[in-house]
Amino acid sequence: MEYEKCYAFEPESARPAKRRRVEPQGLHASWRARHEAYQKAWREQKQRIDAELSSINSSTVLELTKFLDGAAQSNSPGAIPTAVLSTGPDTSSRTSVIQQLSGTQNLLARKVFISISATTGGNLKALLKATIQKATSRNEGIDDQEDDSAAQNKGAKLLNYDLQILANYVREKRLQQVAIAIQDTEAFDSELLSELIELLGCWLDRIPFVFLFTIATSLDILQQRLSKGAIKCLKGQLFDVAPSEDEVERAFEAITNPSTSLWIGPELMSTALERQSDYIQSIGSFVGAAQYAYMSSYYANALSIFLDPAIKPSEVSADHFEALRNLDSFRDYCRGLLDNNEIVRLRGLFDSDDSLLKVVRAELNRGTEALANVMIAVEVVRELQLWAQGSRAAVTSKSKLYCQAMSNKLAGSSLVRSLLLSTRKARSDAAMRTLTAVMGVDIPKNLKQQCAKIRKELTDMVMNQPNTGQTLRSEDNIRNSTLRTTVVAQKVELSKQKSTLSKQDAAYTALLRRFTDLLDGYLNKTFIDPKSLLFHEIFLYDLKSPNRETFTPRPRHAIERALAAPHDYLDCSCCAPEQGDVTLAASQPATAVLYQLYLESGSLINVSDLWQAFQAVLGDAGQTEQQQMALFLRDLAELRYLGLVKGTRKRADHIAKVVWKGL
Amino acid sequence: MPKRRKPADVEDAEQSTPRKTRRTGKQDDNIESPSLAVETPSGRKSILRGTPSKANGVKDVDATPRSLRKVLFSTPAHKDNEGQQQGEGTPTAVRNDRSARRKSARTLQKQTVDEEGSVEEDVQEAELAKEILDEEGEAASEADDGEDIVVPEPSSTTNTPTKRRGRPPKQRDRTPSPPPDLPPHELYFFQNRTGGNKTSSNTLPSHLLLNHEDYFAHINDYKDPHEMDVKRLAELHKRAFDQWSFELEEGFNICLYGYGSKRELVMEFAEHMYYQQAYIHAKSKPKIVIVNGYTPGLTIRDILITLAGAVLPKASEAKLPAQPTAVLDLVLTHLTANPSSSAILLIIHSLDHSNLRKAPIPSLLARIASHSHINLLATVDTPNFGLLWDTTLLRQYQWLYHDATTFQPYRAELDVVEEVNALLGRSRRRLGGKDGVAFVLKSLPENARNLFRILVAEQLALADAEPGLHGASLEDDDDDSILGDSDEEAAAQHTPSRVRRGRPAKKAKPSAKKATKPSATAVPEGVEYRTLYHKAVAEFVCSSELNFRTLLKEFHDHQMIESRKDALGTERLVVPFGRVELEGMLEELA
Repeated sequence: MEYEKCYAFEPESARPAKRRRVEPQGLHASWRARHEAYQKAWREQKQRIDAELSSINSSTVLELTKFLDGAAQSNSPGAIPTAVLSTGPDTSSRTSVIQQLSGTQNLLARKVFISISATTGGNLKALLKATIQKATSRNEGIDDQEDDSAAQNKGAKLLNYDLQILANYVREKRLQQVAIAIQDTEAFDSELLSELIELLGCWLDRIPFVFLFTIATSLDILQQRLSKGAIKCLKGQLFDVAPSEDEVERAFEAITNPSTSLWIGPELMSTALERQSDYIQSIGSFVGAAQYAYMSSYYANALSIFLDPAIKPSEVSADHFEALRNLDSFRDYCRGLLDNNEIVRLRGLFDSDDSLLKVVRAELNRGTEALANVMIAVEVVRELQLWAQGSRAAVTSKSKLYCQAMSNKLAGSSLVRSLLLSTRKARSDAAMRTLTAVMGVDIPKNLKQQCAKIRKELTDMVMNQPNTGQTLRSEDNIRNSTLRTTVVAQKVELSKQKSTLSKQDAAYTALLRRFTDLLDGYLNKTFIDPKSLLFHEIFLYDLKSPNRETFTPRPRHAIERALAAPHDYLDCSCCAPEQGDVTLAASQPATAVLYQLYLESGSLINVSDLWQAFQAVLGDAGQTEQQQMALFLRDLAELRYLGLVKGTRKRADHIAKVVWKGL
Repeated sequence: MPKRRKPADVEDAEQSTPRKTRRTGKQDDNIESPSLAVETPSGRKSILRGTPSKANGVKDVDATPRSLRKVLFSTPAHKDNEGQQQGEGTPTAVRNDRSARRKSARTLQKQTVDEEGSVEEDVQEAELAKEILDEEGEAASEADDGEDIVVPEPSSTTNTPTKRRGRPPKQRDRTPSPPPDLPPHELYFFQNRTGGNKTSSNTLPSHLLLNHEDYFAHINDYKDPHEMDVKRLAELHKRAFDQWSFELEEGFNICLYGYGSKRELVMEFAEHMYYQQAYIHAKSKPKIVIVNGYTPGLTIRDILITLAGAVLPKASEAKLPAQPTAVLDLVLTHLTANPSSSAILLIIHSLDHSNLRKAPIPSLLARIASHSHINLLATVDTPNFGLLWDTTLLRQYQWLYHDATTFQPYRAELDVVEEVNALLGRSRRRLGGKDGVAFVLKSLPENARNLFRILVAEQLALADAEPGLHGASLEDDDDDSILGDSDEEAAAQHTPSRVRRGRPAKKAKPSAKKATKPSATAVPEGVEYRTLYHKAVAEFVCSSELNFRTLLKEFHDHQMIESRKDALGTERLVVPFGRVELEGMLEELA
């Protein structure tokens, strides 16, 4: 079968069915339960993400729908109604909008939605053909279509790129609108696009066309590229689509929703975010990374079975509890219990699986709650930033703050300190806004009460001050004090002179201090090190490794390593690098030998010399020259197949080196 | 200054360290020179290093005694030249930057003289560089300079013709090998520096290269000492089967990369999946479609039709649309409308093969892969496969990459003999080799066999008649003779030319010869169409030209003959095989 082009697979030997499906042993035995748990957990997560993502452009989609409806009603002759979506360089959002749009549009009858791209056809004929085909073959089986067209064409048979077919179809089905979405306007040949537009413009009286262009650059460039005639045919309207960073933030928010059971740790999250911003990738890849993190955690971490809150002790085998007791965080916890002389409780945890399960459940809840609180605290920080800096642009993104907070870098950080300091300097009106904003966040109750109390005091203070309407100033603001220099005994003395502040101002300053101290305490308490939580191994997944290899592989490195150091893969006794970095050895696979000789040579390689060197390395280990030649040929062919060498005409029997290791 | 130094070298070789060799040689010079004899040894050294003019002066002075010693070996024709070079040849002078610069300037001038010279100059340059390097090394650490015994020699070897002839292999030793542990980019520049790439003009004798049958005989005999390790590696990968199936189930597609053929591994996975699915869904048969991306002539239509066969009901299979996109649309819409209980597993071996790289194919495959009821598992072999897909395709593919290095030979993927021949530019496409031809001929009528016999005989006869005119196409023996020739030429002209620098006349010859060689190859080989036709008619193989053409077409279809036009536009027919094989065929046919 190996030389067949393609075929449907049938196993060669009719194996009895008994062999597969050996029941997994040990910790892997719980895989099926974990699989279910995974599906449940991810499904919830996915729904949240989808909801977030669909809401992000919902307003645009709504506007577009309105636009299309309007176009269908008005039927203005002369110019094709055109919606121009400017999406920026991100390819993903444009498709998602178009998809959402076509989803809603398909619901409405008597409208056809066609999306074409530059790859649809290289010339006008092909493009028209594809368009007509897509428009007319909608929701129809193949058989019907042929019958239909046979029945329709009583007269002369129309060529398949004749727009008359589409016109007939429109008349027959009484279609209101034929919307053509061009997804990659920039990729089109500009002349082709202009021709298409002009031609469709001519048919506008018979076919109600609407255009949807998605542009990655700008409207000006689109105009420059189109011919004048084509532009005359269009009546455009510009729509904006949310940039991809927003999408990522929204997806991130969904992933860190407080009700999630499995949290993605800062390292993994930051690499995923970095990848997202380094390469403009679709939001799908970010979601994919999150999904893969879930998959890895549930697949490889047997303890993730405890994430399912409904799990019963009878469903969990004993070795899972054994594994639980071996967790680092649990050991630390036990040590803490010992230090507190709670020996009975400790004993209970060791002896009874039930009591351990209870603790696990409680701790998991506590842990996820703590992490959710971190998110809230992050939100508080962002509010502070917003009001301290005064603009949205200065606010650090939530995902970035999350990564900092989760790696325990925010508690007592300079960022937080400077924020609190600038809050302290705020005038009373700004402070009021900050207070309100902080209270708007979902902060714990007692904090909220205290904030409310402060706010009340503040309002009273503002109301009661003698000249109302004036804001109160803080003592801490440097602008309210002046520096005075005096020369005393040839030394300059700097002294700070508080400009005269009213009594109310002093009281206000004290109030603000109370507020910031309150916040400071709260933040310090909330920004915990997640790694210090009990059982964090279960609900916090923060391994870079499988994600990094599966999403950003280094294939070239892998091949080079396999050939340059085969021992790394084969782990054989014969090729182990014993003394230092002596790598070339006759015992290595022949291709590896040849590859290393290849590495040593320059950009042109004499095959004859290569062969001789190859022979010299192999030595005469019981192989004939011909056998060695067979190996040599095979390995040379492999190097060529891998794209490491290519033929050259510069000199006879020479090959050219193409790839340099490690570049 | 080899001639002078040589005796000193010999003397010193026994009793002193290499580094000393040089110095004593120098001292010899100086002692002989009357002008410097008075100076103290220490002062001498500094002078030698400092002023080149003095060193030259020294040489002038002792020119006479030298001629006494070794005049027999140097021809008067070079004398001037040589004498000039000796100035640079002196180690003392070589130590000097200025003379090095002069030398390189002269090198530049010389490069325009002839190409043969340029190769030589490269050698010189390299030597010079090495000498300077050594000089630096010496200055830095006087302690170890073990290779100095070799290093000063370049100048001597290049200058004396007699010595040169004796030991050409030394020359290769001297091409500076890269210093160890260069960072990759430095290594790249080192290996690509101008003139840095000197390879020998050795050629691979064609009798060494194996034909198909020999290759397979030997490679099948070969027993890999790493068999167990390779198996263990495969076992490791097999442990991931469950993981892979989980990943596929979750809507990702898998891309396996790494060195070694992944075919067997993937086929085992296919089997694993087959039984697993058969276990879960007892009623329906698991649908697994395999595509061998490496098979020559694979088209997207083949893939789509196989896929359609797996998806569509039998009835509608008959009237598939002609356009690949239309087939794909049909398959996908059908699949969306009637999803099967389990997803279809599509396995593509060597997805990055050139068969599957051309424009519409990747996007079509990506569309297939993006469908939720189709799981794709693909293997890729080249290290740069990532460049095949842009972001749009990547979004559709949803890859998870896994390193599946297997160390298994690319048995099915590669036609080794053909591949190497193409790499070395030794032959064009030929299918099946000699046996293949015999097989085809067996199935053809008598007349066809006779015609082929005539053609082969004619071609051999022509080759015998004008051996020099036949270029690369008659590989085996012909190649040998030509290559042997050139080897001899090289032996005869190359070595001396390298040795004696100042003689463009002699060096011009090989280059001229080289220039004529391509034109010799340009003379067409094979039998003229007309001639063959007349021969065939004369032997009653065919009666009309139409008849003749029909017979030829059969050969052409099996790639047993090639038709070429020579410079005059006459059509020539060639059997694209080596002489030995042609003779073998003739024997079998007779």
